[in-house]
Amino acid sequence: MMAAVHLLSCSGKEDPDTEKPPGSSFNIMREVMKYRKIDSHAHVYITPDSPATQIDFADRLGIDKLVISRPMEPGSEGRPEEFIKCNDLVLAAMKKYPDRFIGQLTLNPRYLKESLEEIKRCMDQGMAGLKVYNHVKISDPLFYPIVEKFIDLKMIILMHAGIGKSRITYDATEPPNVSIPEDFVDVAKRYPEAMFQFAHLAGGVDWEDACKALKDSSNVFVDMSGSNNDGSIMDCAMKYIGEDRLLFGCDNSFYQPIGQMLAANLSESQRKKIFFENYNNILRKAGRNVD
Amino acid sequence: MLIDVNAYIGHWPFRQRKYNTCETLIRRMDRFGVDLSLVSNLNGIFYKNTQSANEELNAQIKSDSNFGDRIIPFAVINPIYGGWKNDFKVCTTEMGMKGIRIYPKYHGYALTDPACIELVESARDRSLPVTISLRMVDSRPSSWMDLGRETEWALKDVLPIIRKVPDAKYLLLNIANSTLLNDEDTALFKKTDLIMDTSGRALTNLGELLQTFGKEKFAFGTHSPILDELTGLLRIESLRQNEADEATKELLRSGNAKRILAI
Repeated sequence: MMAAVHLLSCSGKEDPDTEKPPGSSFNIMREVMKYRKIDSHAHVYITPDSPATQIDFADRLGIDKLVISRPMEPGSEGRPEEFIKCNDLVLAAMKKYPDRFIGQLTLNPRYLKESLEEIKRCMDQGMAGLKVYNHVKISDPLFYPIVEKFIDLKMIILMHAGIGKSRITYDATEPPNVSIPEDFVDVAKRYPEAMFQFAHLAGGVDWEDACKALKDSSNVFVDMSGSNNDGSIMDCAMKYIGEDRLLFGCDNSFYQPIGQMLAANLSESQRKKIFFENYNNILRKAGRNVD
Repeated sequence: MLIDVNAYIGHWPFRQRKYNTCETLIRRMDRFGVDLSLVSNLNGIFYKNTQSANEELNAQIKSDSNFGDRIIPFAVINPIYGGWKNDFKVCTTEMGMKGIRIYPKYHGYALTDPACIELVESARDRSLPVTISLRMVDSRPSSWMDLGRETEWALKDVLPIIRKVPDAKYLLLNIANSTLLNDEDTALFKKTDLIMDTSGRALTNLGELLQTFGKEKFAFGTHSPILDELTGLLRIESLRQNEADEATKELLRSGNAKRILAI
């Protein structure tokens, strides 16, 4: 009985769902392994199992490259010795897995001199981008010289975006300096030649609110990482952000972003762009592409 | 065979949902190779009279002879609302529903409320599974009108009803938070005829959890259309041979679901 109903066609409307082959031929691991992937939002940790655990997940799920960082602790002072220690962890991981990891440094623009020195130190050792957390809002003037430096480097700035005002009032757990979508809009407008990455659309933010706010900020890329695999996130991102500005990412939630990507109504070329090509093109601007 | 033990039709009041009718659900099942789905009506969470939602689901299933072959309906029952015993009877006899779902947080009662215990005992007496979702949506980006983060359950939070009615059958869904149990509670879990579905974000290390709880304790689930249809399947199919052999994967795809449904 099951085989018979399995192949039933549905209404004859033009719909991506009806154009797909019958389910009996669907093989999820074949689909997973079909696409080259750059995880645009990955981390390494101080725990002894890292970075081997992250590489193990990547191997399991066919992730070629991971863009790693180690942000400072939320609520910390963010002093230079702290961000240098975080960056040393990333550098060590890069040395251990040079073919898999692309490193991003972290810094604190409150310590401008030390931050600029740290950019040079990390770039000299092969890093390719910046990851910053919630110590200073991305639109704060303190960030301007850092943004200008990354314009020169032709590299992207990945900024954390918290829960923020997801439930309209600010989440009580959030620090006051957490960046919200409107902060990205402001800084992107001030620096149209810079590249910004709005972090983890599926990481607790209200994705509809964020996507609508970021719709016209053409130099803000949006990564799909996070633990929330709500079935409507990808549709919303495609509607407002579009296939050229979306980046595959996991933020250590490895299954959900891939499940979402494969379940979404995307074409082959759209999946290739989001899984790999869009980020590779970002890297290409600084001659760091991986194809 | 692939059985999804966690699917819905109906509306979620705070976000637009696609694929939330029997017709569109089956279209998605066809696309991803799902043979059968256990389905409830989301509207039953928000209607004060949950029976209206069960009637809607029943009417949809009856509207097309193909739906009944693919959709296994579960009734949403609120045991502190008038007439629930008759609702339970109508759903499980006249409508042919094969299990129940309860929503204590949304409907405003404790799992150990005497009425809830009576409902679970009623299900047990008819060998019908009782379904509990640890959360419905990620509370972080949900509406200010929805339940808050403090209401999300960890696995240990469903133990009170299992202790009260240990011989009932349970489906525990969307395991989104901690799976840590002490030794005593783990032993109770192992003894109970229950299944956890694979839709929840806390199942990052399913291979280890199979060791902890046993391969008969998990089954494929999507929590669709709220969550995507494939993440729960990916957690199963990406298991390595040393974590789950083909026989174990078959249990997760359909064997354990068949056992708890007695089909």
